[in-house]
Amino acid sequence: MNIREVFHIVGALLVWTAGAMLPSVPFAVQEGLAWPWLGAIGVTAAVGGLVWVVTPRIVSINPREGIAVVGLGWLAIVLAGTLPFVFTGVAPTIPAAVFESTSGFTTTGATVYSTIEQLPRSILLWRSVTHWIGGMGIIVLGVAILPLLGVGGAQLFRAEMPGIVTDRLTPRIATTARLLWGVYAFLTALLGLVYLALGMTPFDAANHAMSALATGGFSTRTASLGAFSPAIQWVTTLFMFVAGINFTLHYQMLTGRWRAWARDPEWRWYFASTVGAMAVVFVALSLRAGAWTADGLRDAAFNVAAVHSTTGFATADFAAWPAVAQVVLLGLMFVGAMGGSTGGGFKMVRAAVVAQHTRGEVQKVLHPRAVVVTRLGRTPVRPDVVLNVLAFLGMYVATHALGTIILAALGSDLVTAMSAALAAMSSVGPGLGDVGPAGHYGHVTPAAHVVLSALMLLGRLEFYTLLVLFLPGVWTRAGGKR
Amino acid sequence: MRVIVVGAGEVGVHVADRLSKEQHDVVVVDVAPERLDYVQSHLDVAVIEGSGASPAVLKRAGLKDAGLLLAVTSVDEVNLVCCMTARGGEGLTRVARVSNPDFYEERAQLQPELFGVDLLINPERELALETFRLLQSTAATDLIVFAHGAVQILGLRVTDTAPVAGRTLAEVGAEMGHRQLLTVAVERDGTTLVPTGATEIRAGDHVYVIAAEAEIPRALELTGHEFAQVQRVMLGGGSVETYYLARLLQQHGVQAIAVVEDRGRAQELAERLDRILVLNGNVTDVELLEMEGVGGMDAFVALTESDETNIIASLVARQAGTKQVITLINKSDYMPLARRIGLDVAVSPRLSAANAILRYVRRGSVTRVATFRDIDAEVMLLGVTAGSPVVGRPLTELDFPEGAIVGAILRGESVLVPRGDDVLRVGDSAIVFALPDAVRQVVGLFPS
Repeated sequence: MNIREVFHIVGALLVWTAGAMLPSVPFAVQEGLAWPWLGAIGVTAAVGGLVWVVTPRIVSINPREGIAVVGLGWLAIVLAGTLPFVFTGVAPTIPAAVFESTSGFTTTGATVYSTIEQLPRSILLWRSVTHWIGGMGIIVLGVAILPLLGVGGAQLFRAEMPGIVTDRLTPRIATTARLLWGVYAFLTALLGLVYLALGMTPFDAANHAMSALATGGFSTRTASLGAFSPAIQWVTTLFMFVAGINFTLHYQMLTGRWRAWARDPEWRWYFASTVGAMAVVFVALSLRAGAWTADGLRDAAFNVAAVHSTTGFATADFAAWPAVAQVVLLGLMFVGAMGGSTGGGFKMVRAAVVAQHTRGEVQKVLHPRAVVVTRLGRTPVRPDVVLNVLAFLGMYVATHALGTIILAALGSDLVTAMSAALAAMSSVGPGLGDVGPAGHYGHVTPAAHVVLSALMLLGRLEFYTLLVLFLPGVWTRAGGKR
Repeated sequence: MRVIVVGAGEVGVHVADRLSKEQHDVVVVDVAPERLDYVQSHLDVAVIEGSGASPAVLKRAGLKDAGLLLAVTSVDEVNLVCCMTARGGEGLTRVARVSNPDFYEERAQLQPELFGVDLLINPERELALETFRLLQSTAATDLIVFAHGAVQILGLRVTDTAPVAGRTLAEVGAEMGHRQLLTVAVERDGTTLVPTGATEIRAGDHVYVIAAEAEIPRALELTGHEFAQVQRVMLGGGSVETYYLARLLQQHGVQAIAVVEDRGRAQELAERLDRILVLNGNVTDVELLEMEGVGGMDAFVALTESDETNIIASLVARQAGTKQVITLINKSDYMPLARRIGLDVAVSPRLSAANAILRYVRRGSVTRVATFRDIDAEVMLLGVTAGSPVVGRPLTELDFPEGAIVGAILRGESVLVPRGDDVLRVGDSAIVFALPDAVRQVVGLFPS
C-alpha cells in the first residue's frame, strides 16, 4: 500500500474539515470566541495543507488504500473536530471533547453536557454541522465534488457507505455521490423551511434540520424536541422516518417513480417495524396512564421514529417507560435504519436477510433435501452475501458484549452499560438507565468516553473499515504477504 | 410443398415424418451424420449434412423453392440464426423453435419479426400448458382446448361404476336432455370409431367428449370420475418443462414440490421460483418421495430428460397412491408400453411441437389442428365461408364422411354443441373431429 498517497487524501480531507468550521465564525465573533475558533481552523488547515503538499499526487486507489483512506480519514477528522471544543474551553476533559466530536460526526447525538443552552451558539452550530457532514459521509462528499477522488471513488464510497449492496444511480460513482448529496441537501433545506413556517427561529430551524436528516440527535435545547410545539414534533417524526430510508429510493421518488418506496422489500420491513413498534409502545403507555391521549400517541410515534432511525431526539424520558416499551426500543436500537440511509445500526436489510435465512433453515428441518434460497422480496440473495451478513451479526453481537463488559468494569450498572454500548454502536445516542433521554454522558469516566467513542466509530464505519487498519498485513507495501 | 427441417432430433424427425406422409417434399438438415442415417432409413425424405445456419447448406437444401423452413434444433440461437439466414425468400414461412425461458420473460419477450421468424414454437412451454390443463381436470387422459378453454375435448376412461357404462349414447342423451356435451370418439381395443346414437359404451372404453367449459364436471361424473381441483403437486426433474409448469402452478396458487437431481439446476430453479419448494434428490429415490408425501399428492408429474427415469418415478408415485400421474415420454416406442403398465397419461414435447407446426402447414381454412396421443385422429378448427357446401343445411343432411363429426360450433362469443338439426352459418367456426381417412374430405368441405 502506498501510505503517502493515502495521507495525501487525508490531508485534503482535513482542509475540508477546516472549511466546515467557517459557518461558526460569525457567531464566534459575536461571542468573543474568534481567536479560539481561528486557532482551531488554522491548526486543522495548516496540518492538512502541509500533509497534502508534502505527499505526492495520487494516481489510483486500490481497495485496500480506499479502506485506509476512510479509516484514517475519519480518525483525523474526528480529532480535528475536537479542537473547537478544546480551544473554546467548553470541554471538561480531552476525552469528553473527543466523545462529543465523535458523537457528532458519527451522527450519534450523545452529549456530555447536562444543560445545552449554556453552550455558545458557535459550538451548537458546529455540533449540528458535524452531524450533517458525517451523515451522508464527508468522503462521499469528497467523491462527489473533488475530481482528485474520482479515480478510486467506488472504493471510498463502499468503505464509507457500507451496506450489503451498493446501488449505483448512475454508471459513474461521482455522479451517484453528487445525486445523493443533492437529495440530502434538498431534504434538509425543505425541513428547515417547514420549521421556519412552524415558528422556529432560523438558528433552531437550521440546527434541527441538519441534525434530523443526518439522523444525528444533537439539539439546541436540553429538552430536545420536547421544547417545541406538537406540530413541530409530528413533522420531525416524519422526517426522522424519511432520513432512515435508503437515499437511493428518495432520489427515485423525487424523479417521479412514486412507488419506489413501497416496491422496495427493505422499506416494507422498515415501515412495518416502525408502525408495529409505535402501536406496541402506544398501547403500553396508554395502559399505564389509564387514558388514550393524543399526547401519548405523539410521544410513542416520535420516540419510536427517533430510535428506529437512530436519530436520538427525544420528547419523553423513555428510560422511565414501561419495560415492554423499553425492550421494543432496545430492539429497534439494535436493528437501526435502512442500508443506504444516514442512520446506523445493524441495518434493516441485514435483519431481513437473517430472518429469511433462518426461515429457510427451519424449512430444512421439515424438508432435509430442500434447496433453500434466501430472498429479499423476490430477489435471491447470493450465499456469500448471506455469510457476510451472518459474520457481521457475530461481529456486532461480540463487539456489543465486549463494550458492555468494559463499560460495566468502568463502573456503569448493567442496564446503563448495555444500552450505552448499543446506543453508541447504532449511533442512536440516548440509551436507558443513567444515559437515558433525561440523562447525559457527562458523568461517565474519561476512559468510558474513549471506549464509547471507539464503539461509535466502529458502528458508523461498520467494523471492517476500521478494524482492517489494525491488521498487520495492511501496511506492507507489496500487499499480499503477511 | 418443399419443407426444410433443420435439426433431426425428436421434434424434427416426428414433424418430418408427418409432413412426408402428407405428401410434402421434406429435406432434413443436421450436423450429425448418424442421426441423418437413421432419418434416411426410416423416413421418405432427403437429408443434407451441415449447419442449418449456413447459407450454403440452406441453398443446397433448396431454400429457393421451399415453402416452409422449420428450425427445430435443440439450440435456440442456431434456430434464430437459421431463420435470419433464410430471410427474404418469397412465400417462405419460417418457424423457429425457441425454448429458453429468458426469451419469454413476462414484460420483455423476444420479438420474432426481428429475426424474420413467422412462428415461434416452444415445445417445452406448450407441453407445460398441456400438462397444466390435464392437472386441472384430474381424470382426463387427454385434453385439447379451443377458444381459450370455452370448449374442451377430454379423453376419459369409463370406470366400472360409471353411469354411462352398459348403455347406448341415445339412452344417455335422452335422459339428461340437451346439454353442451357430445361424445366424438370411442377407443376400444386399439380401434377408434366415431359413435352414433346406437353405440353402446362399456366400462374400460376410452371416450373423447367435447364439452363447453361449464359441462366438464358433468362429463367427468358420467364417466365415473370425481371433479376435484388439484392443490398439491409433486414434479420430478429439473427440465425446462418443469420450470414452465412450476411457473404456471405458482401463478395459480397451487402448492408444488420439485425434486431435482442436479445440484446446480436445483439451485437455479429455487432462485427463479419463489413459491415452489425445490428438493435436491433423485426422482427415483423411493424413500425421499415417500418422506415428502408423494402418496398424499393430488398429482405427480415426471418431467426429467430421461424417459426411463420418468417411467420408474411414475410407477413409484402410482404405487404410493398419488391420484393422478403424468409421465413425459419422448420416445414414441415407449407410449404403448407405458399404457400397458398402467401409466395412462403421457405427454410428449414431440406432439406438442407437431401440433403447433401442423397448424401452419395445412391449406384451406383450417386455423387450428390438434392431434391426440392415444388415438390416431385430429381435431380441426375450420372457418365457414360463403362458398362452402356446408352452409345453410342441417348437419344431418351434409355429405359428411363417416369418420368425422362436427363437435362444436363457435358463433361469435358463444359456443354451441350441435344436434343433427343445427345449421352452420357463414362466419361460424366449426370444431371437427376426424379420423385420418376422413381428413382430406372434411378439409374439402371447408374451402377458404
